[in-house]
Amino acid sequence: MRACVAWWTHSKPAVAAAGRSLTGARQPGSAPATEAGVDRTPRIELIRLTRRLPSGERELTILDEVDLVIAPGEFAAVLGPSGSGKSTLLALMAGLDRPTSGEVKIDGQPIHGLSEDELALLRRHKIGFVFQSFQLLGNLTARENVLLPAELLGLPDPIGRADELLAAVGLEDRGHHYPSQLSGGEQQRVALARAFAARPPILLADEPTGNLDGVTGRKVLQILAELRRLEGTTLVLVTHDPAVAALADRLIHLRDGRVEREEEVGAPVLDPAALATP
Amino acid sequence: MKPSLYARSLARESRGARGRLTFFVACLAVGVSAVVAVAGVSASLDDGIRQEARQLLAADLVIAGNRPLPGGFDPAAAGIAGVLATRIEETVTVVSAPASVPGRPGPSQLVELKAVSGDYPFYGRLVLRPARPLSALLDARTAVVASELLARLRLAPGGNLRIGGQSFRIGGVVLSEPDRIGVAVTFGPRVFISTAGLARTGLAGVGSRFSHRLLLAFPAGTSGPAIQAAAERLKRGLPNASFYRVETYRDARPELRENLARVERFLGLVALLSLFIGGIGVAQTVRAWLAGRLDAIAVLKCLGMRPREIFALYLGQTALLGLAGSLAGIAAGVAVELLLPRLFPDLIPAALLHPWQPAALLRGLALGLGVALLFSLPPLSAVQRVPAVRVLRREAEPLPAHRLAVAATAAALGAGVLALATVQSRSLRLGAQFTCGVALATAILAAAALLVTRAVRRLPRDSSSRWTRLWARPWLRQGLAALARPGAATMGATVALGLGVLVVLAMSLVERRLAREFTRDLPLDAPTAFLVDIQPDQWPEVAELLRRSGARRVESVPVVTARLAAIDGVSAEALAGRRGGDRSRRGSERGRRDGDRGGREQRWALTREQRLTYMDRLPADNQLLQGRMWSGPGRAEVSVEEGFAEDLGLRLGSKLRFDIEGVPLDLTVTSIRSVNWRGFGINFFLVVAPGVLEQAPQQRLAAVRLPPGGEQRIQDELAAAYPNVTMLRIREILDKVRKVLARIALGVRFLGAFTVAAGIAILAGAVSAGSARRSREVALLKTLGMTRGGVVANFAVEYALVGLVAGAIGCGGAAILAWGVVTRGFELPQELEPLPLAVGLLATILLTVTAGLAASARALQRRPIEVLRDDA
Repeated sequence: MRACVAWWTHSKPAVAAAGRSLTGARQPGSAPATEAGVDRTPRIELIRLTRRLPSGERELTILDEVDLVIAPGEFAAVLGPSGSGKSTLLALMAGLDRPTSGEVKIDGQPIHGLSEDELALLRRHKIGFVFQSFQLLGNLTARENVLLPAELLGLPDPIGRADELLAAVGLEDRGHHYPSQLSGGEQQRVALARAFAARPPILLADEPTGNLDGVTGRKVLQILAELRRLEGTTLVLVTHDPAVAALADRLIHLRDGRVEREEEVGAPVLDPAALATP
Repeated sequence: MKPSLYARSLARESRGARGRLTFFVACLAVGVSAVVAVAGVSASLDDGIRQEARQLLAADLVIAGNRPLPGGFDPAAAGIAGVLATRIEETVTVVSAPASVPGRPGPSQLVELKAVSGDYPFYGRLVLRPARPLSALLDARTAVVASELLARLRLAPGGNLRIGGQSFRIGGVVLSEPDRIGVAVTFGPRVFISTAGLARTGLAGVGSRFSHRLLLAFPAGTSGPAIQAAAERLKRGLPNASFYRVETYRDARPELRENLARVERFLGLVALLSLFIGGIGVAQTVRAWLAGRLDAIAVLKCLGMRPREIFALYLGQTALLGLAGSLAGIAAGVAVELLLPRLFPDLIPAALLHPWQPAALLRGLALGLGVALLFSLPPLSAVQRVPAVRVLRREAEPLPAHRLAVAATAAALGAGVLALATVQSRSLRLGAQFTCGVALATAILAAAALLVTRAVRRLPRDSSSRWTRLWARPWLRQGLAALARPGAATMGATVALGLGVLVVLAMSLVERRLAREFTRDLPLDAPTAFLVDIQPDQWPEVAELLRRSGARRVESVPVVTARLAAIDGVSAEALAGRRGGDRSRRGSERGRRDGDRGGREQRWALTREQRLTYMDRLPADNQLLQGRMWSGPGRAEVSVEEGFAEDLGLRLGSKLRFDIEGVPLDLTVTSIRSVNWRGFGINFFLVVAPGVLEQAPQQRLAAVRLPPGGEQRIQDELAAAYPNVTMLRIREILDKVRKVLARIALGVRFLGAFTVAAGIAILAGAVSAGSARRSREVALLKTLGMTRGGVVANFAVEYALVGLVAGAIGCGGAAILAWGVVTRGFELPQELEPLPLAVGLLATILLTVTAGLAASARALQRRPIEVLRDDA
C-alpha cells in the first residue's frame, strides 16, 4: 500500500502538467522536469529478469536473467525472432505479468510487491499501450475509447483532451464511430490517441504496425513519432521491422530470452519527415 | 472511480446488451412473477378476509361450540347496551320432496341445515328471493332453500319440503350467502329454517351432530377495543368457557387465514425454487457474457482500471439487469393476479381479491434483485482473475483464485439463499431445510456432471481402439468430447435442468398419487354409504329395507354419545384450558405453529361429543399395538385408537370418565390399537368392552354396500320412512373432496409450469450463450468436411447426454421427494412408479436436445467463411 501511495505522489507533476496543451508539453527527448531539477533515475530498470512458463511437464524459459535500463525520454526498439521473449518483456515492464525471478523498477520503484489494484493504478498514471491488434473497446465509440484513460486519471476537461488527440491523429470527424466502423489504420490511430490520453511518461508498443499494410503502417508510425516528440514520452517498441527499428535511439536484440546485443543508433530525435517517404 | 464516471461506464457497458438482456431478464422474470403472484394472491386474500371479516362472520362477535350454549346464558353479559343476538344451529341431514307418484317416495338430498332464531345476518348480504329479510320469510312451518336444491328435488317456491319428517313450505330461495367461501368442502345445498321449525322436527335429539353459534351485533359505532373487551367479559361469564370459541370480527377468521398462510408457505417455496432455477440461468448468462468480455476486461486493466472497479462495474450491470428482470417479473405477476379470478372463478372468489399489494411487489423486487446479485457473484468474481497480460497473450492462464475470496463468495451465496428462503417461508427452520435440500440436490447434480465430464475425458480418442464400429463415428466422439472441453457449460446446465426436472416431476407425482387416492373406486368389499342416527328400534326395519333394496354387507354397530368429563381425575375443562394455555408458552415460531394446530386438535378431542361403541372382537382393519383385549365380560375397559391416545396423552391404565346424559361412567384404557381408516369400514376412536354400555341411551350406525345406481332410490325411501336417519354417500363425498383437491392441484400445476418455463429459458440461454464459440466450432467442423447432419448429430449427442444425466438425477430426486411428501405429508403409502419416471426422463432428453438444437440453429446456418473471417 505504501508503494501505491508513492505512485500517487510521484505522478502528481504529470497530473498537473496534463492541463497544458499538446504543444506546451515537455521538450522532446528530454527527461521530465521535476521540482528538484532534472531527474536522472532510469525510467525503466530490469534486473536479472526471468520468466518461465509451464509447458506440459516441462518449463519453458521465456526470459532469462535480462538486465536492461531505459532512460527517461528514450526510444528503445526491441527486436528479435518469434518466441524470443519480446512481448513478455513488455508485459513484465507494465506489470501485466509477474516475473519468475528478478525485478522491474519503474522510476526507481520496484513493482514486484504491488497488488493487482496497485499495478492497475501504476498503469493508469504511468503507462500507455499500443497493441498490434489495436484492442479498442468495441462497445465504446472512438472518442470514448480515447476519453477513458483521461477520465480514469481524473484529468480536467477530458473531452477537450480527447478531441485534441483525435484531431492530432486526423480523426476529428470519426469520433462518434464504433471501432467496427473504422478501418484497421483508423483503429490503430484511435489506439495511439488513447495511449497518449493520460499523458503517460512511458509508452509501450507491441508491433503497432504489424497488422497494417505498408502505407498505413508508416502513417501510424509517423503519428506515433510526432506525438512522442510533443509529449516527451519514453517509448519501448517491439517490432520485427528493421525500418521501424531504425528510428529508435537504441536497438535491443533479443534471442532465446536473452539480450543478444544492444546498439546505440544515436538519433536522439525522430524526424517524422524521414518517415513520410518510403 | 468517481460516481459520475461509474455511471457513464455503466451506460457504455450496457450497449449491445439486448441479447444478453433477453435471457437474463427472462430467467429472472419467470421466477419473480411466480413469487409476486403467490405473495400477491395470498396477501390479497388475507386483506380481503380482514376487510370482509364482519361479512364473513356475519356478526361483530360469535360464540361457537359443539354443545348448546347454557340455557341461562345472557348476551347482556357482554356489558354493552343494545346488543342484538341470534342463535344458530347447524347440521347435515337428508331432506326430501313429497311423493309425486303414490307409493313411491319423493326425491331426497343431503343438505346443510341452518336453524336461525332471529335476524340473520347482521353484516353482509344474504341475497334472497323474494328480497325480504330472512326472519320475515321464516316461521315454524317455512324453509328458505338454495336454488340448487329446488332443481335437484324438482321443487318450486311455495312447494313443500320434508325435513326431519315434518313438512315445511318453501318460503324463499337463497341466491348467495355472506359467510360461505368457495374453498371449503360443503356437504350439500343450504336450507334455512327457524329455531321453532327445528324444534318441530326432533332432529336436535340425543346423538345428533349439531354445531351451535350465537351471533352478536353491537350498536353502530361500538369500537373494536370495546368489542374485544366484551369478548373477554363474555368468555369470563360463560360456564364451561373452554368448550366454546369466542371470536370477534377483528380476529378475522384465524383458521381460514392460518390455512391460507400454510398454503402460501408451500407455494411460496415452490415459487422461490423457480426463482432460484432462474438464478442459475442468470449465473450462466453472466458467465457467458463475461466470457465474451475477457479481452475488454484485460484492456480495462491495461488502461489502469482496478480489478475492484471492474468488478463493481459488472456488478452494477448485473444489478441493472436484475432490476429490469424483476420489474418485468412484477408486471407479469400482477397480470397473473388479475387474470387468475377470471380464468378460475371457482378457485378464488373475486370479491376477496385486491391485487394491488405493495408488499408483495416489493418482495418480488427484493427477491429478484437478491437472486440476480447472489447468483452472479461466483461468475463475477472471476473478473478479478482475468489476466491483464491477455492483451498480449490470449491463452494466458487466469490469475490464481484467492482462497479467501472463494470462501467469501460461497459463504455469501449460502447465507443469501438462506435469507431469501427464510423471508419467503417466514420461518428460519423451513428456510434452513429448504436451503439444505437445494444445496444437497445441487451438490449431487454437480458431482454427477463432474463424474460424466471426467469419464468422457478418459474415453479413448482414437477410432482404432477396441471399441465398436459405432465409436468410429466422429459425431459420437466429438459430441461426447464436447462435454469435457474447457469452458463447456455442462455443470451449470446439468444442475439447472436437474433441479427443474426434480421439482416439476415431484409435484406431478404427488398430484397423481393424490388424484389416484381420491378417484380410485372404492374397494370391492368397502361400504358405499353410512347411515347415521338410526334409533335402535328402527334398525330391524331399516335393515330389512336395505336388504330388500339389494344392499349387501349390511353392518351395524351401536353408538353411545358421551362427553369426556375427566382424564386421570383432571376435568376435561381444565385440560382443555391448559392445552389452550400451552400455546402461548412456546417460544419458537415452529413451536407456536405446531402448538396452534396440535392445541386445537387436542381441544377438539377433549370438547367434542365422543362416540363410543362396544364390541366383542375388533374388526379386521384394527391392529392391537399395546395391551390386550377384554379381560372379562362387564369389565369397564376401553380400547383407544393410537392417534387419539397421542392427542390426549393416554397410556395403558389411563382412567377416563365419561358423562352419558348426566350419568358418569369410568373406563380404564387397556389397549391401544391402530386403524386402517382407508378401508372405509366402521371404526371408532373408543371401543368399550361389551356388557358396560348396553343399557345406555344409544343409536345405531350402519355401513352398507348399495347396488350401483340404487343409492338415490334407497336414500329417497329412507328419507320418507325414517326422516331422522341421515345417509352419507361415500362416493359423493369423495367427489367433493376431489373437486377441492383439483382446485389446489391446479394452483400447484400452475406454479410447476413456471418452474418448467424457467428451466427451458435457462437451457436455451445456456446453449445460446455459447453460440459464438459454437459458431466457430461448427465452421471448423464444416471446413474439415463434416456435413451439417453430422454436426447436428454431434450436438444432439452432447445435449442428449446432458439431458440424460440431469433427467436421471432429477427423476430420482423427484421420486424421493414425492415419496416423502406422500408418506409423511399425506400419510399415504407410495410405491415406485416407473412409467412417469421413464416418461419424465425421456421428456427431459427430448426437451434438452430440441432446445439445444434450436438455439444452435443460427450457428448451423452460417457459412464457415463468415465465422472464420469474423474471428480472425
